[in-house]
Amino acid sequence: MSKEKIKISEAMWDFMPPEYQDMVDRATYGNNQRSWKDIGSSKELIEQHSLCAGCPESIAFRYILASLPNPEDTVMVGSTGCTSLVFPHVAIQNIHSLFGNQNAIASGLKRALKVRFPDKIKDVVVLAGDGATVDIGLDMTMQSWFRGEMFTTICFDNELYANTGGQESGLMQKGFVSKMAPVGKLFEKVRLPEIAFESGCHYVACLTVSKPNRVEKVIRNAVLVAREFGPTYVQLYTPCILEIGKQSMEGLDEMKDAEAIGQRFVAKEYMTDNVKAFLKEQDAKDKAAKKAAKAAAAAAK
Amino acid sequence: MSGYQVKPGPEAFLPPSASSMGIVLPDPGEGHIEGRIVPEDEAYELAARKFLEAKVPTLFPGPLVLWHWNDNAAEKAKAIKRLAEAIPARIIPMADYRPKYPKIIPEVEINPNHPNLTIWHNKIDACIFIGVHCHQANLALKIIRGGTSCYTMAMCAQAGHEDACLSFRDASVAKIDKLTETVLRLKKEGVKSQGDEFKQFRNNYTVSYKPSYE
Amino acid sequence: MNKKVDFENRRILGSKHLKIGETSRYHKDQVYTDPHEIFFEAETKPSFVTGSEVIRDALKRASLDCFVAYPITPQSEAAALVGELFAEGYLGEYFRGESEFAVMGQCAGASFGGARTSTTTAGPGTMRAMENFPMWAGSRLPIQITVTCRGINSPLSIQPDTLEIYYLLETGMMVWHAESAQDLFDFILKGIIVAEQPDVHVPIAVCCDGFFVTHTKDTVNLPPEHMVLPPYDPYRSPVPCMDMECPPVRMMRDPFIMKSNYIHYATHASWQQEVHAAVDRSRKHANAILDGLIETENLDCEILLVSSGTAVSQGREAIRLLGKEGIDVGLVKIKTLRPFPKEEVLEATKNAKHIIVPEFNVTGWMAREIKSIIPNNERVMEGPHVCGGMTMPSEVIVEEIKKHLGLAKKSD
Repeated sequence: MSKEKIKISEAMWDFMPPEYQDMVDRATYGNNQRSWKDIGSSKELIEQHSLCAGCPESIAFRYILASLPNPEDTVMVGSTGCTSLVFPHVAIQNIHSLFGNQNAIASGLKRALKVRFPDKIKDVVVLAGDGATVDIGLDMTMQSWFRGEMFTTICFDNELYANTGGQESGLMQKGFVSKMAPVGKLFEKVRLPEIAFESGCHYVACLTVSKPNRVEKVIRNAVLVAREFGPTYVQLYTPCILEIGKQSMEGLDEMKDAEAIGQRFVAKEYMTDNVKAFLKEQDAKDKAAKKAAKAAAAAAK
Repeated sequence: MSGYQVKPGPEAFLPPSASSMGIVLPDPGEGHIEGRIVPEDEAYELAARKFLEAKVPTLFPGPLVLWHWNDNAAEKAKAIKRLAEAIPARIIPMADYRPKYPKIIPEVEINPNHPNLTIWHNKIDACIFIGVHCHQANLALKIIRGGTSCYTMAMCAQAGHEDACLSFRDASVAKIDKLTETVLRLKKEGVKSQGDEFKQFRNNYTVSYKPSYE
Repeated sequence: MNKKVDFENRRILGSKHLKIGETSRYHKDQVYTDPHEIFFEAETKPSFVTGSEVIRDALKRASLDCFVAYPITPQSEAAALVGELFAEGYLGEYFRGESEFAVMGQCAGASFGGARTSTTTAGPGTMRAMENFPMWAGSRLPIQITVTCRGINSPLSIQPDTLEIYYLLETGMMVWHAESAQDLFDFILKGIIVAEQPDVHVPIAVCCDGFFVTHTKDTVNLPPEHMVLPPYDPYRSPVPCMDMECPPVRMMRDPFIMKSNYIHYATHASWQQEVHAAVDRSRKHANAILDGLIETENLDCEILLVSSGTAVSQGREAIRLLGKEGIDVGLVKIKTLRPFPKEEVLEATKNAKHIIVPEFNVTGWMAREIKSIIPNNERVMEGPHVCGGMTMPSEVIVEEIKKHLGLAKKSD
């Protein structure tokens, strides 16, 4: 839907609660310069959430929503878990469905939108936890990549089942002691980024959410590449501070530690040569657009 | 024949859906009153009277009219405002359907997941839903019937609502205006609004309304 | 009911669609046609086809936006034939999923996105997909699924058996049971129209007995190929379509409404009631479009045979054989299992002394359904039952009825 269609009927404006008036006046729908830097100065697409205080997932969610290139024409698919407590408050239409079938839902959804709106860009973005992506839903995750489905899969990797109380998951690191891993996890963390690239993803990134500009970059890349080439995958470390015994203020430090040299979340990207060339071109365009916008702003002053 | 009637509650801890009790929706040109299928004109007449009899008549516009997603929606919104002014009635919006955290502010909004809170808080005794998606309208109507004594009405753009005490189908600007005209005609005929004086909450300010007894 | 269904006034069923008369967006030779005309007025042509071909022939006229396929006997042929339709340009999208669980998710995704969606499955596929069906219903997705029933338990059987239908009954979907290939054709197209009514808008399972219907040839009267159903209009849906083209945009289609307090549990309860209410609302539409939820013959007989699916066909022959012996038996064919035609069955069976319920499954769920709603339910004779692919010869039904009446010859 164009930004112009996200507006309140004039006769009803006065009666609408202020958060909706704000959404129309100050959200960044239709702004091709939108960025994580808008957080704090514009209306965010996430209204509120019930995640734990200091949860890195909540900030990751906000960065992602601020980074989507086309929120007014994006539909998101979630899955059961902590994210599904946030999704009702996100001002982008979204679907929960079942636990683990998110990439199946997204496959049908993306194809339906393509059939219904052949001349319009409609982005589909999956956002689910590691249990949904790698364990119960791995079949559907990978099959959507094999089929070359044109959407982005984002995995919030908190290395366990957070919403059910901290049980072992496939992305948990080896040796970690948790519920259902009473003597420590006995096998290695599943290498999904590498599997994703081998399975047909055209762009793969794995990183923590300690640096918003990096998150913005990979999300934007992933969505743009999914439009043009095929499936893309982004894995973000969003530690569950509650279940790994950290304090509310320790999320950022945990992520910084995990991305240090030699640790398991050193930022990495995989992409095909075609995608590399495409993104380079895209970067040049973005820079030119930013420069033009700056110049226009200066001229206006 | 089922003897079930769709009356104001409080009906039960969990009232049955009217449909499961054999209540069938009206066909085009018909309305529905408490389980009876009636000519639409009868529904206009009773709806107008219910609003004028009420102490706290209230309109609940939903997303399909609150949001200007097409020109018809914006026109329906204007028609709703005309209806509110004719009665006069409060307007309390149902802007979307999410279960809100940590709670709603019942003076200014209604939510399909716990509409009874808005009814109780404002002591609403007659209401109409306009522009709410049918599924969410039915949730709200049934919860209100279950736990409150409010007389519920629905102006549905599709097939109508048997879970409301009174419902119209195929709502349009013309139909909303016809209800407004019926209210104005009854007033002219001497039916007085029994509404309490009220403050219409509007964003950050309020407007006082004194029902006209002319 | 507060109002009797007007059987004459069938035009309420989607006949005012704006696109009627326009060329189909998928195939230039097809025209969006008033369903009333397709179902009741068009000149039909008899074709001698298999049930699988009938599924194709129905979907060819369905203005289908999306079909998701997966192989499982006995529906594989039908799903592949629909693929040929896609290749010929009769539908918007078609692909093979990776399992029935995934296929039903893919169908849901397409339907959430406003596409008219269909699939087919059978037996173990139905069971594997089961978690999806209450999700479809709870999300108010009007997906059409054709279920070609077969055995579900170990040891494996690909043969006809209707036990899987029992598992579908409380999912919140409409469940119709076709007796013949003609029923299958009609129920698929009519089911789509009923399922998409804004006051109904729940999925529909059209069940048929595998092999008996899918793999045998029968004469089916088909309306002209150029007549197709008007397209689905997702903006009349009772819930917002997930395409970012309609309000509200702050919308999770299936939000968590189960915060830990009473009122949210009541919301979930009301949501469940609303889904089943929607199935109940389909009575009005199905009644008109199917000419009643049941079909009856000779209700004045003391003995009535009541069933659904091909058990009815076998029953018809048994009735003929018994008639030759001077034993008159009436018939009640149940077309819609959900909504269950409670009033109709009560009325039809009120004078019967013996109610015979033959079934193609081991447990006899249809007999239980009937027993649970009629007075003096000792009148119900459960059976004969066959399962696992066994046929039910009409002579067996005859013999069982006679035994029940105390008329059977003692075996040598």
